[in-house]
Amino acid sequence: MRMHQRDPKRTLLGWKDKPEAKESEFPEVKETEQIPPQQGGFRNKEKVLVTCSRRINYRYRHLMLNLVSLFPHCKKDSKVESTSTKGATLNELVELKNGSSSLFFECRKHKDLYLWMAKSPSGPSVKFLVNAVHTMEELKLTGNHLKGSRPLLTFTANFDKDTHWKLLKEMIIQIFGTPKDHRKSKPFYDHVFVFSIVDDHIWFRNYQPALGMKGILYLNIRGWFSHPNSTTDGSLVAVIDILYFCQSQFFYSNISVPHNETDKIARGGLDKMTLIEVGPRFCLNPIKIFGGSFGGPTLYENPFFVSPNQIRALEKKQKAGKFAKKVKAKTRRKMHELSNPLEPDEFADMWKE
Amino acid sequence: MVVIKGKSTLSDEELVTDDEMDDLDEKVSGSESESEDEDVKLSEPSKNAIFNRDGLADKLQDISWPENVGWIHKLVIDFNQEQEVDVNDDLTRELAFYTQALEGTRQAYAKLESMGIPFLRPPDYYAEMAKSDTHMEKVKGRLLAEKRNIEEAEERRKARDSKKLAKEVQFQKQKERNAQKKAAIETVKNWRKQRKQSGFAGGDKDGELDMPFEDGKVFERSNKKRPGVFPGDRSGGKGRQPLKKGKNGPEKKKFKRESRDSKFGFGGRKGLKKQNTADTTDDFRGSKKGSAAGNKKRKMW
Repeated sequence: MRMHQRDPKRTLLGWKDKPEAKESEFPEVKETEQIPPQQGGFRNKEKVLVTCSRRINYRYRHLMLNLVSLFPHCKKDSKVESTSTKGATLNELVELKNGSSSLFFECRKHKDLYLWMAKSPSGPSVKFLVNAVHTMEELKLTGNHLKGSRPLLTFTANFDKDTHWKLLKEMIIQIFGTPKDHRKSKPFYDHVFVFSIVDDHIWFRNYQPALGMKGILYLNIRGWFSHPNSTTDGSLVAVIDILYFCQSQFFYSNISVPHNETDKIARGGLDKMTLIEVGPRFCLNPIKIFGGSFGGPTLYENPFFVSPNQIRALEKKQKAGKFAKKVKAKTRRKMHELSNPLEPDEFADMWKE
Repeated sequence: MVVIKGKSTLSDEELVTDDEMDDLDEKVSGSESESEDEDVKLSEPSKNAIFNRDGLADKLQDISWPENVGWIHKLVIDFNQEQEVDVNDDLTRELAFYTQALEGTRQAYAKLESMGIPFLRPPDYYAEMAKSDTHMEKVKGRLLAEKRNIEEAEERRKARDSKKLAKEVQFQKQKERNAQKKAAIETVKNWRKQRKQSGFAGGDKDGELDMPFEDGKVFERSNKKRPGVFPGDRSGGKGRQPLKKGKNGPEKKKFKRESRDSKFGFGGRKGLKKQNTADTTDDFRGSKKGSAAGNKKRKMW
């Protein structure tokens, strides 16, 4: 807890680093250099409060619990009623728990999951719509890693494309990254988070690196995800065949103890590395970014977003439209017949002599 | 992906004309096959969406860590994706994520190694895992079951194939046999014709073909009598044991049983044994007693 004299000043609005102090007092730390723990003076004390709304459905609750198990720096709290004043309640809760950020899973109508990601106490906060949820419990996700080891975070380059993506990236780094030297974290790095912007959505994946043949199992998972036989890629199918050969040798010994490797990677070990997916999976569609924590001025609005309620309403309307269309067509036909009467048949009384 | 034309179609549905209705219907029919949670997107951005870049930049400045924070605090790797990924193609999308993770991990591990920080768990480091052992047991069971299913399917396929092959071989054999038969008949016919043409020249015997089936004995059983075997005895006389010296009760009974078994057979089909042959008709040994006392029904009349 002891703050160093040369630390950047922490204001109410967060960390403010003085540019003049930066040059003189903080020597640029080279990444290749080994850093002793106290050097640099920065200490990440992020604490995330994770809660959900009442009446959340089980799948989403499991997703939340998965994330809780992935974050050693989080605190789970009891469910919160999702009313209009939930923002104030949540802010209070975060303050009570000494949190510096929060994740709030809000489930509406038992179908739509919204994720609030907020920095406390002074914002910003983001509201996402969560799609394509797969929890860690799914048996097709065969990986496993230490509970509480610090994740490596990978981002696609298009996070630096625009301001709001930059902000989101920073928030994700702070919330999803486990603080260094956190007391519950483990000193190894055996999983990697993927954050990728595809189609203006943030996709999340969690993989376990495996040095050796074991990673071929991963293809099995992909084979599940979309049917391997349907692809034209022959090589993939071939590898899946190999899988069953390899499995017998590697799987039994390794599945419960995933790291039989030593610290030193053999030359070329990194090239042979493969990944096994651990889960969970989800896809975040940003809706709005607010200036404050759970409120405040709107800084960004997703211009493409359509709420799932509107989509459902539209679908219903279209279904109803089918009948309306039939009725309309009937009346139109009638009108047409009335306006264009048939000519009198000249042979009508031919046989009535 | 379903695309909606604009906000107007959503808000003022009453004003939608017939043509637009048709349009909508077409879209619906296109979208019905897709899953429900497929996300819908406006084709063009709505005009009045807020985008306060300065505010965002301010906030970013507020929350971001000091710039000189070491990489070890963030553990962030940026990955430059070469080409756009098609969202709807599951395989390429997942592959993109996979390569991103792989490349990121490689870079990160290289960095960690150069820093001299251990990053892989030593083999004797046991700790709680993200997934419990019972869960991993389930995962393993599932993989094994999958493997077994595939193996079984393979086996079934093989069996089916071999069956097909065997059928073909059988068919070929049948065909060959038929051809042989035909050829044989043909030769006989030819021979007869020739014989006729030559006016039965060579007498009776000379023109005979030496065919094995001509003497008509092929289909008969060999007349050779097997010693000690009764006609119709399927055991080939094996039921009959060599005589034994002691003629005490059980011994004698045994002998009787054996001789009867040998005579009448023991087990097997009865149909052939009950038929009369020339030998049995000539044999009057057992008939006297049977005809006198055997048929009680006839005696009544």
